[in-house]
Amino acid sequence: MINLIYGIAGTFVLGVFAILFGLSVKGIDRKISARMQWRIGPPLRQPFRDVRKLLLKDNVLPDNAVPWIYNAAPIICLASLITILLFIPIGSIPAVLGSSGDIIVVLYLLIVPSIAIIVGGFSSGSPFASVGAQREMVLLISYELPLSMIIFTFAWAYSVLYPGIPALSFSTFEKYPIWNQFSPIGMFGVGIFLIIALLVTTAEMAKIPFDIPEAETEIAEGVFVEYSGRNFALFYLADAVKIVVLSAIIIAIFFPYNLSPWLSAYITLPHWLWYVVDVLFFMLKVVVLSIIAVTFLRTALARLKVDQIVRIYWFHLFIAGVAAMILIALDTMGVL
Amino acid sequence: MSMLTEVWKLMLKRPFTNRFPAKYAPKNVHGFIRRVQAGKAKLVPPIPPPPDFRGRITYEVDKCIGCGLCIRVCPTKAIEFRVLPSEKPAEGEKPKPPKKKVKIYISRCCFCSQCVDICPKDCLHMSDEFLLANENKLAEELIEK
Amino acid sequence: MNDDPTFIIPVGPVHPALKEPIQLVLTVDGERIVGVDVKCSQVHRGIEWLGMNRNNPIQSIYLSERVCGICNVCHPYCMVMAVEEAAGIEVPERADYIRTIVAELERIHSHLLWAGVAAHEIGFDTVFHYTWALREEIMDTIEYVTGNRVTKAIMMIGGVRRDITTERAERIKKATAYYLENFQKIADIFLHDKSIKMRTRNVGILTKEDALKLCAVGPVARASGVPKDVRQDAPYGAYAELDMKAITPDMYNGEIVGDVYDRIIVRLLEVKQSVELINAALDNMPSGEIVAEKNLVKLLAMLKRADGEGIGRVEAPRGEDIHYVRLEKGKEPFMSWKIRAPTYNNVLPWIPMLLGGEIADVPIVAASTDPCMSCLNRVTVVDESRNREFALTKEMMHEMSIRKTRRLMRND
Repeated sequence: MINLIYGIAGTFVLGVFAILFGLSVKGIDRKISARMQWRIGPPLRQPFRDVRKLLLKDNVLPDNAVPWIYNAAPIICLASLITILLFIPIGSIPAVLGSSGDIIVVLYLLIVPSIAIIVGGFSSGSPFASVGAQREMVLLISYELPLSMIIFTFAWAYSVLYPGIPALSFSTFEKYPIWNQFSPIGMFGVGIFLIIALLVTTAEMAKIPFDIPEAETEIAEGVFVEYSGRNFALFYLADAVKIVVLSAIIIAIFFPYNLSPWLSAYITLPHWLWYVVDVLFFMLKVVVLSIIAVTFLRTALARLKVDQIVRIYWFHLFIAGVAAMILIALDTMGVL
Repeated sequence: MSMLTEVWKLMLKRPFTNRFPAKYAPKNVHGFIRRVQAGKAKLVPPIPPPPDFRGRITYEVDKCIGCGLCIRVCPTKAIEFRVLPSEKPAEGEKPKPPKKKVKIYISRCCFCSQCVDICPKDCLHMSDEFLLANENKLAEELIEK
Repeated sequence: MNDDPTFIIPVGPVHPALKEPIQLVLTVDGERIVGVDVKCSQVHRGIEWLGMNRNNPIQSIYLSERVCGICNVCHPYCMVMAVEEAAGIEVPERADYIRTIVAELERIHSHLLWAGVAAHEIGFDTVFHYTWALREEIMDTIEYVTGNRVTKAIMMIGGVRRDITTERAERIKKATAYYLENFQKIADIFLHDKSIKMRTRNVGILTKEDALKLCAVGPVARASGVPKDVRQDAPYGAYAELDMKAITPDMYNGEIVGDVYDRIIVRLLEVKQSVELINAALDNMPSGEIVAEKNLVKLLAMLKRADGEGIGRVEAPRGEDIHYVRLEKGKEPFMSWKIRAPTYNNVLPWIPMLLGGEIADVPIVAASTDPCMSCLNRVTVVDESRNREFALTKEMMHEMSIRKTRRLMRND
């Protein structure tokens, strides 16, 4: 019973936090992107205004659409993203639903938002949305391979280094940070994986150079072409939450560090305040990651084509991933 | 030079954007204009136009002889001929002929300044005023007569 | 279920890739384009009709300026050249130089504008903002020289309306120095950025044969290796006295592919060429009158008495622009006015460029010809009884052409 109440309250608090924080990250992203383009850019609160305005607008249902799928897609998209957040530790607060094997759940749940977007696109009955949905599908297939490669290499390394503890759990990653496990050669492999993870984030966010499902000049916002009003606002919020979720996953895997263990040696603060400090540090990490993975790349590159993206993920990143895998494997087995 | 490095340099530069009339779009334009007029808000001034700028047309009605040449060359038909009602003649005088003048609808003007070139009496000029937006194209401020 | 895997995507009349209305009906198989159909005539404005019925020649100058918002010097330039030929007016030499300088200023602005739009089409908004920021300098110069940023209103039948005084010449010199300084920056971004190259190399190829067969003009033809440029082939204005040579991409890297990348090369090199032409023209500008007939009333009367026909040919930033004007004695508006804007020739090459390409290529390929739809559209045929548009058959078209020729011939 206590668990249930804790779960519900946690979901609610996390959901509100993720939406508000996600929108702020979006505001920072837009501002910094504008400055990189030699412009002033919108004020930081612009995403909040956008959502408010979208919620005021009419929800238009196209004639060709399948209503229930069309309306359900944005809700599923947002809900699944908030669900993922329940499995990830935030700062020094442990995950609401954490258990062994939670990484597998997250890996599967990560596909759900994309599936919701694809289904929503196909159900809106517009040729542009269909093309967009097809492209989203190709994108999904492209980045899944490198992403799972990262996770399973690390899980294998943990299962060899620490037999007997759940290797596919964020708590393990937090207890034994990945960088501390290897010699410089293995760390080089981890570095390659970090770059791959950042590129996967860009694709998962569907931002330039990988924004083919939306591609406003080609297929007029693609999958979202028919969406408006409340439904589009939900997709907008999902987009904002997504960057928090994806950054949180990268943080949980690569940077599960907190300020409290180090700072508590110098300053004494009340117990609850350490949680606040760690959450603030977590938020800083999310902002930095989002600037690198989303803002910088989308500002400094042109949109690529479908075949080029597939080639990057399945060829270039795959080879880089295999190299990193071999480095880590050699290091783990103590060959080097 | 690739944009990958250039964007970081651009980020440190002052934005190129011209801040006129304000850094961010005001929530309510009319309210902003009223606040500026009341002296409560500050307007970022526009870049001054260069010499011989073709802005809003000015019309010196006293010099005009009503020859109608400007009407002939105006490409947008923004100029209208008008006859002023003749003044009442003084006692014992002959009635004066009615005065012929023109009326210029700024909202139709295309700022080619062709009427300025053709005017034989030099009564039309281009000023450097360019903030002419108005909700009503027939507003009093937009008609020169 | 049908077995046909293709489906139809309508691009336009309103689509973010197109800045003006035109319709492209694409048959696609997955991402690949297997069929292209172009439907023009979405923005017919009746400009020629106004010139033939409502306006006197002076009013028509400003109307022709509005044929296109961007090339608003070449259209009036072309029109006044045609009228001068028809009425036998001799243009003073200084006016020729001023016209040349203003036309080249416009070419710089148009090419930079195009470069920004092209970057936007491939999703590179940073380059779009960057090029347009650099373009501000030329806009300010144009404002200083002609009195307005966009519509220059400098052409007059028999000359120009404004002189380039010493201060104005200095301002232009300042701008040309600015662009010589920044040219390398723009060229580096467009020609060496990896992601731009990935999107433009080997995309939208137009072979030399197709370019000749479909009568492509301007940078599109030159990028395919056809050294066609009115400024070089039939010099007008002051171009005969300036050393002017058509630019082809092999001048830059020794090869001609005819793709979008080559069109970028041609336009960028033309910016540099324009800067050099302006500098040369400013240095060699003779002194003297700037207009043949200062008194506009006399000019109008003269044009009313004139009888004859003239053709103006101008190399607009988008290619060769042609105006045909026929004056009739006693009639103030033109008896006939025919505009052939460069986009008219450059729309048909879209089909060989797009066939076999991907949907993702459509915006950049369409933009690479720098299309200007409202220049292109000269007619919309409407069936009044059914109140809808319809296409003319070849026979009807032929018959109408014969009738029009007869109407024009009768005056001879």
